[in-house]
Amino acid sequence: MKAFTYLTPGSAEEAVGLLGQHGPQAQVIAGGQSLLLAMKTRTARPSALVSLAGVDDLAGVRLAASGELVVGATTTYAALSRAPLTGWHTEIAAVAGNLADRPVRTMGTIGGALCDAGPRYDMLTLVTGTGARLEVLGPSGVRTLSPGEFFAPGGGTTLAADEILAAIRFPAADAFTRVVFAKFRQRTFDAALASVLCAARPGNGGVQITVGAVRPVPVVATAADPEAVAAEVLDAAGGPPLVQYQRELVRTLTAQTLSTVNGS
Amino acid sequence: MTQTPHRPAEHTTRPRGRLVGQSVPRKEDLALLTGTARFIDDIKLPGMVYAKILRSEVAHARIRSVEVAAARKMPGVLDVLCGADLVGKVKPWGDMMQDLLVGDHTPFAVDKVLYEGQELAAVAAQTKYQALDALEAIELDLEELPAYVDPEEAIKPDAALIQEGITYEFGDGNIFDRYKLRVGDIEAAEAEAAAVVRQRFSTNRQAGAALDPHGCVASFDSFTRELTVYSSTQSIYMVRDVLADVLQIPRNKVRVIVPEVGAGFGSKAQIFPYEVIASIFSMRLGRPVHLVLGRKEIFQSGTARNSQIRYAELMCDRDGHITGYRDYTVHNCGAMSVWGNQVLHIGTNVGMLPYAIPNIRVDGNIVHTNTAPGGALRGFGIPQFIWVKEQLVDMAAAELGLDPLEMRARNVIRPESFPFRTPMGQVIDSTTVYDCLHKSAAAIGWTETKANPVPYEGLGLAVSMKYTSCRHPSFDTDLSAVRLRLETDGTVTIYSSDVTHGQAHATMLAQIVADGLGVGFEKITLARPDSVTSPFGLGTYASRGAAVLGTACRLATERLREKVLAIAAHVLEANADDLDIGDDRVFVKGLPDSGLYLEILASLAAYRTHQLPPGFEPTMEAIATYDTPTEREGPDGTGNLSVTYSAAAHAARVRVDPGTGLIRVVDYAMAHDTGVVINPLVVEGQHQGGFLMGLGMVLGEDYVYDDEGHLTNASFKDYLAPTSTDVPELTKIYELPAPSLTIPGGQKGAGESGTGPVPAAVGNAVFDATGVRFTSLPITPQQMLLALREKDRRGLATFRYPDDMPGFTGPREPQDWPEPLLPDDMGFDWDNFEDEL
Repeated sequence: MKAFTYLTPGSAEEAVGLLGQHGPQAQVIAGGQSLLLAMKTRTARPSALVSLAGVDDLAGVRLAASGELVVGATTTYAALSRAPLTGWHTEIAAVAGNLADRPVRTMGTIGGALCDAGPRYDMLTLVTGTGARLEVLGPSGVRTLSPGEFFAPGGGTTLAADEILAAIRFPAADAFTRVVFAKFRQRTFDAALASVLCAARPGNGGVQITVGAVRPVPVVATAADPEAVAAEVLDAAGGPPLVQYQRELVRTLTAQTLSTVNGS
Repeated sequence: MTQTPHRPAEHTTRPRGRLVGQSVPRKEDLALLTGTARFIDDIKLPGMVYAKILRSEVAHARIRSVEVAAARKMPGVLDVLCGADLVGKVKPWGDMMQDLLVGDHTPFAVDKVLYEGQELAAVAAQTKYQALDALEAIELDLEELPAYVDPEEAIKPDAALIQEGITYEFGDGNIFDRYKLRVGDIEAAEAEAAAVVRQRFSTNRQAGAALDPHGCVASFDSFTRELTVYSSTQSIYMVRDVLADVLQIPRNKVRVIVPEVGAGFGSKAQIFPYEVIASIFSMRLGRPVHLVLGRKEIFQSGTARNSQIRYAELMCDRDGHITGYRDYTVHNCGAMSVWGNQVLHIGTNVGMLPYAIPNIRVDGNIVHTNTAPGGALRGFGIPQFIWVKEQLVDMAAAELGLDPLEMRARNVIRPESFPFRTPMGQVIDSTTVYDCLHKSAAAIGWTETKANPVPYEGLGLAVSMKYTSCRHPSFDTDLSAVRLRLETDGTVTIYSSDVTHGQAHATMLAQIVADGLGVGFEKITLARPDSVTSPFGLGTYASRGAAVLGTACRLATERLREKVLAIAAHVLEANADDLDIGDDRVFVKGLPDSGLYLEILASLAAYRTHQLPPGFEPTMEAIATYDTPTEREGPDGTGNLSVTYSAAAHAARVRVDPGTGLIRVVDYAMAHDTGVVINPLVVEGQHQGGFLMGLGMVLGEDYVYDDEGHLTNASFKDYLAPTSTDVPELTKIYELPAPSLTIPGGQKGAGESGTGPVPAAVGNAVFDATGVRFTSLPITPQQMLLALREKDRRGLATFRYPDDMPGFTGPREPQDWPEPLLPDDMGFDWDNFEDEL
């Protein structure tokens, strides 16, 4: 770890101001579960850390008047997994409660995962597959992005150096009749090797299938059956063994989630 | 005389002196469970400074220059060292354990980098962060060379030489040692065999992965010229003697002490460059130097299990009796290795058990590659060999139409009398392996499940025997020692140099002493291993604690008991034969509630020496050293290298998910014959831990190198060691008693029996579940699923992975196998050596 300046703003606006003041070498720290590991090995070398720990209104889960579920960016996985949710929103809590290990869930935040944008993180698949909207706060105020706008196509995010992710707005509880997430990882505490989210819209809205962990950002499939989804996301055949394996996993997980969605 | 206090009934009726055999809670656990144990990184000495090592980021390179001038000027920097600074000033090491004329290990790479992570330079600074900053200021000019990751590439005739600096006596090119084993007549066995199964197998590299990192604190006293080294090691005298030799200073001027050692598994059973580097810094600066490695450094430059490729053949008669075994082994020792060649010798010798195979021929090439050093790791070559041999047994059973359980039952050692000498030369002094085999198979529901198979579920068996202690071929010794002192308050101090690092020596030795000396268990303390105070012993490895160290302790206890009784007989004016000892006192037999307290007797021996028997040597100390009656390895590779052998019969039930390839071990039974168990709680823990390391070896762990020799998974995030959720309920652990006849207390080793059979048992179960025979390790979900798909695509009933995969480039069938690379210049007729001798 290299020496750095630790800054503790009391509000989101102050945090944005500090980021502007300290330039691109400053970095936001929320739960620190990825950043601290990178700093320990000196692969990340921020000159300043702007901690969001003291910014109370960035944490917490609430229902907006519109029915949207607003999850503050610094809400920990542990808090999210315990939130009293209803309808398909319960799947959000279920995903948050079944990733990484207990210490990581206790410290790690949903916003931290999205800003770190690790392709194998479950949260990326969750926000993409449910069409959540991401509230970003910058010097000129708030802008709201779709996942497609928030994640850069080749990986990472489109956030500017002086912007922070403030909240994630999930569609209302009646937006989907059922949402099912499934993933595969070799060990319980590992990140996913493949993940699939099936979201069923009411009426004849159909089922939307999203595949995560196999591309730099999650892919919303246009195909509707497991074989075609796998081929769409990872080509029909060939590739190195890992890709061949992920194709099989996508097929299995798609079939599994589709069957659960259709079975309800 | 006051009234005798009331004593509870169970106390008076409790059999005296029988702590051995009981699950006494471990003395070690309070400090460990409350976080108060002090490990190497917790050591803080006045004026201590911090050192860090610059390691190579390439695997194979010629060193043009290492420029440290800028680093010297960095804030807080006190000293900088690199390879050129030490040439001619320190002695290379590795000769003692490898039986070489000169050593092949140096503190830093000098002319050439041989593997990623090798030491290039080091900095000592006021803080560890300043030391890390200064490492970044060191300029390297390296000419990168092609790296050899695959040992079969490294032994090709046109391969470039990796170790250029040393000529190995038995080596040739990148082959630095050879192994030959000859028993009986293998050609005749092959000609007469009813069935011969042949298969190429390979194994993986596995890390020790001790949570407590490797590291040391070196402190040189400029006035007394004494160097004190705190080190997280398994053997204080191997560190002391080699370190003193490397530094060319007297051995009594080097003091090695261990703090709490948070496991080793064999990975801390030697000296490492960081111990030399920290010592040199401390000698130059006159200040204590802290040098503790990070996890990536430990993965890259600690020792890892040697991988092997074995072209193996098993021969049987029509009844399934094993009549011959032959293989050609390529044994990957990494770029350098203190213990690696021994792994092939001992692992193959002992790995033949529990079968008494009459005809054997093994040719092994022990090879350098540009990868992490190979070395000792739980099982010491036996898990690798059992993985091969026990899968061949299943293949032979299938060919002969025999049940794998029956095939093993016909072959495991079951002599009419003990000791029994095998054709390999092992002296088996007791075993219940036949019963263990049936016990574990029954516990897993072998017969019932075989009659009613469940899709994608399978059962597998494997048997092995692990050596207890070892007389290493290059290292003709197998001793441990204990000194006991009865203190003047009636407590007892045990001094031993064999480091306890998970084996519960403080508990186990106290049980022996309590029984022999009649001292309360709670009054016995094990002193920390310290080369200034501890008697000379080899250290803790090779499952030798209970049997070898335990025997030394038993002998010392007997000697101390004799002294105690001699004084008591004199004071009581009684015959020593009429006295007994227990409940902290010596008493006349039959009168246990009277007698002389041990503290009084010990006080006499120290402070009232006129009351001692005439000619009695004062103070109450006794020392004993026990060296095992083992043999050196013969020129044909045979011999009894271990004092006794612990059998393990394991049975696995696995379930394979055909949608993801995930393999779960859903049930597992282990039966062992660990002899007289001193503490069943400790032994059960050893078996569970041993199983876990076997599980990691078969289902996930490996050093994943790219073609340039970069280790791509050098962190616990990416290195797939099993975690708690991967372990089945381990409730089916059985001990079927078979006391050693050689060890006075009947003990056998427990630490490694749990590991050996696991990869093979799981591999056999995976075949039973899926029809896929894995010939390489580890078996990952990815490989499992791709193998299943390829097998289905080709409509095959059975399938080998990776041999039958489209992309496999190795030899698929025996006719494609390489001939063993044999030296043509050794001038020795290996097939008729007896005539020559």
